Amino acid sequence: MAVDVVAPSLERRIERLDRIWRERPGLLGWLTTVDHKRIGLLYFFTTLAFFAAGGIEALLIRTQLAGPNERVLGPETYNQLMTMHGVTMIFLFVIPMTTGAFGNYLVPLMIGARDMAFPRLNALSYWLFLGSGIFIYLGLFMHRGPNCGWFCYTPLNTRTYDPGPNVDFYALGLIFNGLATTAGALNFIVTIFKLRAPGMSLNRMPLFIFAMLAVSLSLIFALPSLTMDLVFLELQRKAGFHFFDVAHGGDPLLWQHLFWLFGHPEVYIIVLPAFGIATSIIPTFTQRKMIAFPLVALAELLVAFIGFGVWAHHMFATGLPTITLIAFAAASMMVVIPSTIQVFAWTFTVVLGRPEFRAPLLFIGGFIVFFVIGGLSGIMFAAIPFNQVTTDTYFVVAHFHFIIFGAAVFPILGGMYYWFPKVTGRLYHERAAQLSFWLTFLGTALTFFPMHIVGLLGMTRRVYAYSPHLGWDAYNLSETIGAFILTAGLLLIFGNLLWSRFRGTLSGPDPFFGGTLEWATSSPPPEYNFPVVPKVTSPYPNWDRADREEDARRLVAGTFVLDEGHETPASTVRDGYLDEVLSMPPESPWPVVVALCVALLFTSLLLSHVVVACVFGGLALLALAAWHTREPEES
Amino acid sequence: MSAEAARLDRGRIARPNGWWGIAVFVATEATLFGTIIGSYFFLRFQVPQWPPAGVPDPKVLVPLVLTAALVATSIPVQIAYSAARRDRLGVARLALLLALVVQAGYLGIQIRLFIGDLDKFSPNQSAYASIYFTLLGGHHFHVLIGILLEAWLLLRLITGLTRYRLVALQATVFYWHFVNLLAVAVVLTQVSPAL
Amino acid sequence: MRRLVRLELFQWYGLLGAAIAWTVQLVLGYGVTVARCSTGGDFGLAVDTWEVVLIVVAGAFALLGEAAAIAVFLATRTLEHDDPPPDGRRHFFASAAVVGNVLFLMIILLSGVGILANSPCHQS
Repeated sequence: MAVDVVAPSLERRIERLDRIWRERPGLLGWLTTVDHKRIGLLYFFTTLAFFAAGGIEALLIRTQLAGPNERVLGPETYNQLMTMHGVTMIFLFVIPMTTGAFGNYLVPLMIGARDMAFPRLNALSYWLFLGSGIFIYLGLFMHRGPNCGWFCYTPLNTRTYDPGPNVDFYALGLIFNGLATTAGALNFIVTIFKLRAPGMSLNRMPLFIFAMLAVSLSLIFALPSLTMDLVFLELQRKAGFHFFDVAHGGDPLLWQHLFWLFGHPEVYIIVLPAFGIATSIIPTFTQRKMIAFPLVALAELLVAFIGFGVWAHHMFATGLPTITLIAFAAASMMVVIPSTIQVFAWTFTVVLGRPEFRAPLLFIGGFIVFFVIGGLSGIMFAAIPFNQVTTDTYFVVAHFHFIIFGAAVFPILGGMYYWFPKVTGRLYHERAAQLSFWLTFLGTALTFFPMHIVGLLGMTRRVYAYSPHLGWDAYNLSETIGAFILTAGLLLIFGNLLWSRFRGTLSGPDPFFGGTLEWATSSPPPEYNFPVVPKVTSPYPNWDRADREEDARRLVAGTFVLDEGHETPASTVRDGYLDEVLSMPPESPWPVVVALCVALLFTSLLLSHVVVACVFGGLALLALAAWHTREPEES
Repeated sequence: MSAEAARLDRGRIARPNGWWGIAVFVATEATLFGTIIGSYFFLRFQVPQWPPAGVPDPKVLVPLVLTAALVATSIPVQIAYSAARRDRLGVARLALLLALVVQAGYLGIQIRLFIGDLDKFSPNQSAYASIYFTLLGGHHFHVLIGILLEAWLLLRLITGLTRYRLVALQATVFYWHFVNLLAVAVVLTQVSPAL
Repeated sequence: MRRLVRLELFQWYGLLGAAIAWTVQLVLGYGVTVARCSTGGDFGLAVDTWEVVLIVVAGAFALLGEAAAIAVFLATRTLEHDDPPPDGRRHFFASAAVVGNVLFLMIILLSGVGILANSPCHQS
């Protein structure tokens, strides 16, 4: 229920909630915030800035590759831009955007909670993320940016072949970034397990929450592999250890195994939240519950899980034993089945519902088209001989851009339009939004489809220039034109959102008749999200009018308002029975202090000052201790 | 606190958030060590001689005895938690202190052995030494963090027990059980060439 | 009470058993291959025998998982997936696990195809 018109006796309760949950105004408020919605907005704008940076890098790459033997960029600059494009888009845009921005803003709202389980840890994850992004970009601005490709294979990543600090910015920056992401993932898991509104048992969680749970579990188990790989690399580069060089008993394949043990789950991590966004938009714009709900929910977890057992398909051309290749090929073929189940469920829900193709659903339509194409090219890589021929060609580049751009970014763009009214209280401009979809769709198709062809014609990845008369010129030129059309589409999207932020019509709490709980509160939500703890009896609580009327009655009666402190309920994990009332922390300066110490620690390591690094590490621990001196109120 | 909070204050059914937090953290760290131990054996299978020529076989008895001592501290640590749950704060503090002393002693001896090993063979010379020192260094670092957690907890418990501190104790105890289990995996890996 | 505890255990085993079985098969199977086929000596490992044993054992655990999932599904077949917990929740997980276990079984069996065609450590 939306709190627009209330009786005078309720006003006092609402006022009390407002007073308890209000945070400091101004810059200090933003620096010390622990409100998941503010943190989500911080993530949103920061990741958009990195998206722009990654986009500029892409346009520079495409300009250089528009024709053969172009001289727009030299090889060293190209290598840095190409590596930074990959690193930025994956680590500084897609994942922080889907988990940090969408996840942080929406998860507590969708489960009927007032904040995440660990609000200060949430703030810390943001500040660590910002620090890691600045750290990595410092390298690029000094023209010493990472230049080894986003997976930075050995021996090119060793001091022998890459003596400058470029690879150190890469390795230390990504370990730094990994800390932020791990903190966030931990927070989501505990929040989803414990803070669901009473009545929301595991089988009554929205599909978006299943997707966020799958992503978070995946991150927890995948990131350590990358972290150790990078630690080994830095020990080899800075302290002369030997992990990857054969001469001293090491093995270059160790780098690849550890990288792809992380790297393959990573690509599912990229796409799973997008599935979650799709499964939120489709029911709303078809006014129909998702078909085969339990299968779709499990499919999200299955894709994440099976994704851990297919990593060697990135290494089919490295000389692994055939029986190994076959085992991984088998799993790689099977991993597509859960995704297929989801595609069928989405499509049939649209067909059997009453679809209204407003902008969000259009973007999901585009997502399904690109996901199917990208998925088909992906499954082709499970065929070992095909994989061995096309590895490191533009065919691979085509596949993963269809998936990352088509299947991860399209839902992000659709989600931006979908939840724009919830966050800002205003509607976006519908006609402009639909035009922006078609421009972006056309641009994406034109940019990435020709890459399949030019890859099969033999164009390899990462080349900074190519010879004429190989038959590649026309395709590359179309790709570049497509990239600029795509940029126009994106600019129209952001222009629309910016304009609508100030001039859009007021939306009210629930303009699209959505089924999940974020639509049950005002737009934008108050700091405390819900004036009364919502009653939940299904995965589409906002479509259960009886429960929402019960909420209104409780608000009048003053039950479950929890207005005596920063209170939110905790439930049992499996079945969502009310278990205790938690007292949440108010704003705190310690997260930003800890993040600063960690940033200085990594900078010291970059400069090989280990003792200084330890000092900053010690300071970070002291700040953590100070953080924990603030305890919740006891009775 | 509100009426509902007071009504539920007698005791929770599910494990507290702090427990789940440390459980997820332990899952990350366990995976981290899984990759280190996996890398140890991966590297081991690449070469015919392990340790390589000129590097002594690892000692077996001393590391195993030390590990046994460390694992034994799971007992006082668990006692500390059980006692605190029953409001026997004095017993809890004493048990924690006992565990802390043994663990600090363990770490001290391990650091001396670590430095001694560095004198005999260097990570700059072989992959064996590199993974050996990384594995042990990582493990000792986790022991250090556990000791710091206990020390911090002892400090906070001077001024009494609260629900929050009880959860903190529960989390620290969980962490220590993990570190002790990890110690077994690490020492078995460390001495595996001599077995 | 005992029936409910059994139902709960079956539900979790049905959901997680096949997944864990495949994981163990993958880790041990790959470990055996690395040990046998890398340059550090072959440790007298018979890769093919190990693969067959792992497939049979993992396959058996996966089949039991499927049986458990089917048992819970049948015991709760009158319910909907969003019905009240605990039985509604058990029905939800069992419905999903019945399909998921088939997938894991297929992966476990298909990963052994290589034994039929190639000698161990053959590279391509």
